Amino acid sequence: MEGEHKNRSLSDVKVLDFTGELGPYASKLYAGLGAEVIHLEPITGDPLRRKGPFYKGEKNNIEASLQFLYYNGNKKSLVVDLHKEEGRNIFLRLISNIDIFMESCVPGYLTNLGLSYENLKEVNPKLVQTSITPYGSVGPYKDYPGSDLTCSAMGGFLYLAGIDNEKPVRACDDQAYRMAESYAAVGSSIALLHAKRTGKGQFVDVSAMESVGMALENAAQYWDLEGSIRRGRGKEAGSATVHPCKDGYIAIVAIMGKNKIMWEPFMKWMKDENVEEWQVFEDPRWIEPSYRRSDEGYSTFCRIFHNYTMKHDKLSLYEKGQANRIALSPVSNGKDLLENPQLKHRNFWQTIEHENLGGEITFPGAPYEFGELDWRFGFPAPKFGEHTAQILESLNYKKEEIAVFSKEGIVHV
Amino acid sequence: MSNFEKALEGLVVCDFSWVGAGPITTNVLGQCGAEIIKIESLKRPDILRKGGPFKDGIADGLERSGYFANRNPNKKCIALNMRQPKARDVAVRLIEKSDIIINNFRVGQMEKWNLGWEDVKKINPRIIYVTMSLQGMDGPHKSYMGFGVNLNALCGLTAQACMPGKSPFGTGTNYTDHVMVPTHTLFGIMAALLQREKTGQGQTVEISQLECAIAMKPIDSMVYAANGEIMGAMGCGDPNAAPHGVYTTLGYRKWLAIAVFSNEEWTALQKVMGNPAWAKDAKFATLEARKENEEELNAHIEDWTKDKYAVKLMKALVKEGVKAGLVNDARAAVEDEHLIERDYWAYLNHPVVGSTLYNRAPIMFSETPIEMRKAAPLLGEHTDEVLTGFLGYSDKELEALKAADVLI
Repeated sequence: MEGEHKNRSLSDVKVLDFTGELGPYASKLYAGLGAEVIHLEPITGDPLRRKGPFYKGEKNNIEASLQFLYYNGNKKSLVVDLHKEEGRNIFLRLISNIDIFMESCVPGYLTNLGLSYENLKEVNPKLVQTSITPYGSVGPYKDYPGSDLTCSAMGGFLYLAGIDNEKPVRACDDQAYRMAESYAAVGSSIALLHAKRTGKGQFVDVSAMESVGMALENAAQYWDLEGSIRRGRGKEAGSATVHPCKDGYIAIVAIMGKNKIMWEPFMKWMKDENVEEWQVFEDPRWIEPSYRRSDEGYSTFCRIFHNYTMKHDKLSLYEKGQANRIALSPVSNGKDLLENPQLKHRNFWQTIEHENLGGEITFPGAPYEFGELDWRFGFPAPKFGEHTAQILESLNYKKEEIAVFSKEGIVHV
Repeated sequence: MSNFEKALEGLVVCDFSWVGAGPITTNVLGQCGAEIIKIESLKRPDILRKGGPFKDGIADGLERSGYFANRNPNKKCIALNMRQPKARDVAVRLIEKSDIIINNFRVGQMEKWNLGWEDVKKINPRIIYVTMSLQGMDGPHKSYMGFGVNLNALCGLTAQACMPGKSPFGTGTNYTDHVMVPTHTLFGIMAALLQREKTGQGQTVEISQLECAIAMKPIDSMVYAANGEIMGAMGCGDPNAAPHGVYTTLGYRKWLAIAVFSNEEWTALQKVMGNPAWAKDAKFATLEARKENEEELNAHIEDWTKDKYAVKLMKALVKEGVKAGLVNDARAAVEDEHLIERDYWAYLNHPVVGSTLYNRAPIMFSETPIEMRKAAPLLGEHTDEVLTGFLGYSDKELEALKAADVLI
């Protein structure tokens, strides 16, 4: 069984993950398919360990950051101080056997330590090194300090999350970072396939600012082709709008453009439910986007539709709307997602025992299924330095040497 | 024989996908050197061809959409009317020569054409067979419908993207379609290709758009399960930072994003502001105190920014180590010196709309190119070339297929 699981995995891929707040989802994608992922932490610990929210609010416990525990599941923790020469020797011994080295260091940091890609390539010519940074490793802003918010802003993504003169709102879970990480995983895998075929590794540069550029939808083309600047959708009645209901909100796309065929099932649904003033929706002007965008159109739509939605909860509206072939969905919160019937049916949520925390944590599960590969959450995220000794031993360091490294603060065991 | 000057040289993609997430996926493969054969039909064009913006605002025909174009550069397009029984034979010839076949139709469409996995693996056992269902292939909601906006809401992205006290807003776009779904699809494809290097066998890659979206925004559910809390409206804030937001500056809809996490950054921000007296108050001394008095803090910061140019403030702040960035609109992003320097944008010549704007994938390789070589294809632009060249049809066979309305 174990052997079977191993065959159905990327177990021959070795990833070294030297990232922190920006970067960890990239190698988690590999860990999820059974690659061996070593999370290299500085002697001060991965800064993500100190970022909330925390399990049971334990904010001084470096093993309790929910973000850390999710993004680092099925990874091993190796704590080495690269500012010490012996630490760098350990790193070089490790890198000779690594397929992908992911890092989110400030550009130039590794080079100053003598660990530039050029140097690492001499040790391991097939090494793929993927750098994940706010602005990339080249270009005028490469040295700018950046955060998720500034990358979302600079790349043009944040601007879209608002209407008219409103300030934009921010998506949850640091999406600029997540976008960069998911593209870093993809770029690394493309470079890895190439390295396997040619024996030649390469340096892969991924920037969060550029990654958010993938999420501009058609905004750049609106500027280029029509000379106009767009903001968010959300004020065109029934076309990607959010509406209140008894216990929260729902989102609906009852029509797009002038697509009358889309509108008809919505009209019929309102009629069948005998919604007060449903006849208003029979008026052909609803097929005109300009009417739906007008104040009158939007407020009329809301008045009639809310009369109905406010009497029902989001789950029943979801099911009724879908039964009528309307693209309607709940605006889910965390609780809704855990209780979502589809996700329950598919056993999506993964509940993992964390002995050191004295409890269970529930995590998102598989993003995909394969014919010949298995996704797994794997073992819980590692405690600080949990695998240092094991990894050093696998690099042929003797127990006595490891003890000395530990005493001298070169590693944390 | 390929010499792999391009990372994915030699790979062929039989691309039945349309609209958003599928074409974005194959776009990235194409930029890395794979040959993408996009299958469309005048009877069923990619509906994004009818989505704005259009060159000069003129929506006529199927070749003016920038929305479509930016997802489909470098691809070859064949017109194939799958309603004609003989069309399947063309698809089969293409499948025989492909490494990847991808579709984002509703569950069951490919099976109707006898091109489900069970059929396709008999045609080509080395092929990677990619499906992109909305919520998975089984379960009570497997047939539910939705657009990106619906998926944003359903997966939990919309709820917190909200000004306190207002309705949830979300990203203002079909966000899930653009990054969450395509990157997971791409990674799934690459994992299957890596596996094929070892086994020689193809396999299925089944994406659930909902599940991969949730995988990139885990915390709301984790916090509820662990602590029983429901995450509230975020505005532009961050629980680990203050000040953290966008602040009004000079100009029309010009804001500056500022994010201060550490006390060092807070000290540096004060320095750039000229060490104002208000900032020395104990109620702003620690992150906790600043979070508690965040509204007042933000008002002070905005008082300082509102009569200044965002770009000047940004340069002064980043120089002192404060994370600050312009809230760029699309024009500003297109004209941004950093993105231009990094060749992020590309203008490609198109026979109908001329030189128009595209962006490359956000990946720069040191040894292999990310290529933006050719504008999006006209519908059916490469039908003759692909059929008589790559697929080996004779001119006579081509004419017969045309006469039978297969190639429209």
